[in-house]
Amino acid sequence: MDFLLHIIILIATTIPLSLGYTFLFGRGKVFHFGPIAVAITIAYAAFLTLDATGSFVLALGAGVIASVVFSLLFAWLSFRLEPDSLGIMTIAMHLAMLNVALNWQSLTRGALGIPNIPRMFFMQSQGAFAFWVTIICIGWIIFFLWLERTSLARQLTALAEQEWHAKSLGINRIRVHLVAFIILGLTMVNDNFFYPQYLHLLYPTDYGYPLFITLVMMVVAGKPGSILGATTATALLVALKESIRFLPLPISVLGPLRLMLFGVILLVAVWVRRDSLFPVKRTI
Amino acid sequence: MQLLVNGMIAGSLAALMAGGLALVYGVLGVFNLALGQLALTGGYATWWLHQQIGIPLLPSILGGIVIGGIVTWITFEIVIAPFYRRHQFLPLVTTIAWSMVLDGALMLLFQEQPRLILDAPKQFFDFENIRLSHEQSVLIVCTFLFLAVIAWVLTATAFGRKIRATVQHPDAARSLGISSSILHRIVFIGSGVLAACAGIYMGIDQNLTPTFAFPMTIKAYAALIAGGKDNFWGTILAAYLIAIIEQLAVGTPWFFGTYISAGYQGAVALLFIIIVLLIKPTGLFSRSTRIA
Repeated sequence: MDFLLHIIILIATTIPLSLGYTFLFGRGKVFHFGPIAVAITIAYAAFLTLDATGSFVLALGAGVIASVVFSLLFAWLSFRLEPDSLGIMTIAMHLAMLNVALNWQSLTRGALGIPNIPRMFFMQSQGAFAFWVTIICIGWIIFFLWLERTSLARQLTALAEQEWHAKSLGINRIRVHLVAFIILGLTMVNDNFFYPQYLHLLYPTDYGYPLFITLVMMVVAGKPGSILGATTATALLVALKESIRFLPLPISVLGPLRLMLFGVILLVAVWVRRDSLFPVKRTI
Repeated sequence: MQLLVNGMIAGSLAALMAGGLALVYGVLGVFNLALGQLALTGGYATWWLHQQIGIPLLPSILGGIVIGGIVTWITFEIVIAPFYRRHQFLPLVTTIAWSMVLDGALMLLFQEQPRLILDAPKQFFDFENIRLSHEQSVLIVCTFLFLAVIAWVLTATAFGRKIRATVQHPDAARSLGISSSILHRIVFIGSGVLAACAGIYMGIDQNLTPTFAFPMTIKAYAALIAGGKDNFWGTILAAYLIAIIEQLAVGTPWFFGTYISAGYQGAVALLFIIIVLLIKPTGLFSRSTRIA
């Protein structure tokens, strides 16, 4: 039962993030490969504030502010750089932020992370935690299903398919992409406000490159831009990732094996989606 | 001065990788994010041949380069060839997936502990307050020789003209009978061979661990983007520039004589490049092009 609740909590905290990412990267085809850099800043802003003030409200506020500021920074980068350069430079930002988190020992405690993070009073037990994060996750799914039907989503798709034509029809790229970046940032606030509370620990190594790969995999495997697809892929991949630990293999073999397995899954997913991941522009 | 020399040593490593990347990007128009793993494959293969099998160093290095080239060729056939003609950005994702597969394979085969190709202690010499090992000086000279050979191939051979023609106008080059599929394979494998040389360089100068792969790739790409994606020599210069900035950032006293911690070395250079790109998005040495 505990393991089932553990899986539910992981899935429910991850789904909003994968939905935000499938909206920006899957639907908008924006090569933002640095969402984990934003996640690191949100987590540290929130839990350093919590550590200093003891207030969850202020911690959440700090997380939201960090999310908006860094989302705007990445959005600005996306307006300045070509798509592939943006992809590489956002990965570089991720590595740089992780580097800062690991080395600014006086503030972040370095590789040790922030221990003894308390949970909110109504989320103390594992059952209560699972219940509340599931409710919030359902709220996010409903929000994204609604968002999918709005003009914003259609404008994002139009910009991804034919940017110049979309602009000539009056679609404001800066406005649409800024909103999409901020939405992704807010889903990351959700993930990074609850996950460290669940573990009672903010551990910087959790924010490494494999987390980003898993996120890309959830989007690609679930069909880019698809809300239900990303939800299903997230549930299956999180369950698979957690279940692998039960294989009767030593840790030194299990880690690399998991990397290889997820690499192959991503490769197969791209192969299957090779015509829809970055569709060729439609011509008359 | 010692910092500049240290920058030359690190820059030579980055230049080998970034040079190959610049050629691949120019000819194929794709990014290969598994390049760091290909570099480590060459390094680990040399270590295995030299330290485990007992083959002398020079044949081991040649073996490492050959194995690096073969793995690069396999990489091209599995994660590049089926995708890059459909969309130039697909390899960006497939090579990320492939980098995970290679990472896992390297960890399984060679474990995570550091591996040194040479186990004998390094011999250093001092010159005008500059301390340099014999291996480092040989490696710097070899890198310059490699780059000189590439320059010669690009400017003075028929093959180089084919590469430049394909970079300038792929369709026109094809219509003149240049076989793009063969050229693409040769250039891609060439970039893998350069990366394998960088891996061997690292295994001789420092050590090899699987965790180095990704930062190596990103630094090489930072050089490519900062140098201007259409400019081979701009990329090489940017590779050296990034390495020198890294050395100066942590080796120079800043405000009130304080030093930046060595842990921030990579972050400082990457943030510098990001700032440069925000000011000049096309790169420091990009050529201005006319667009319709």
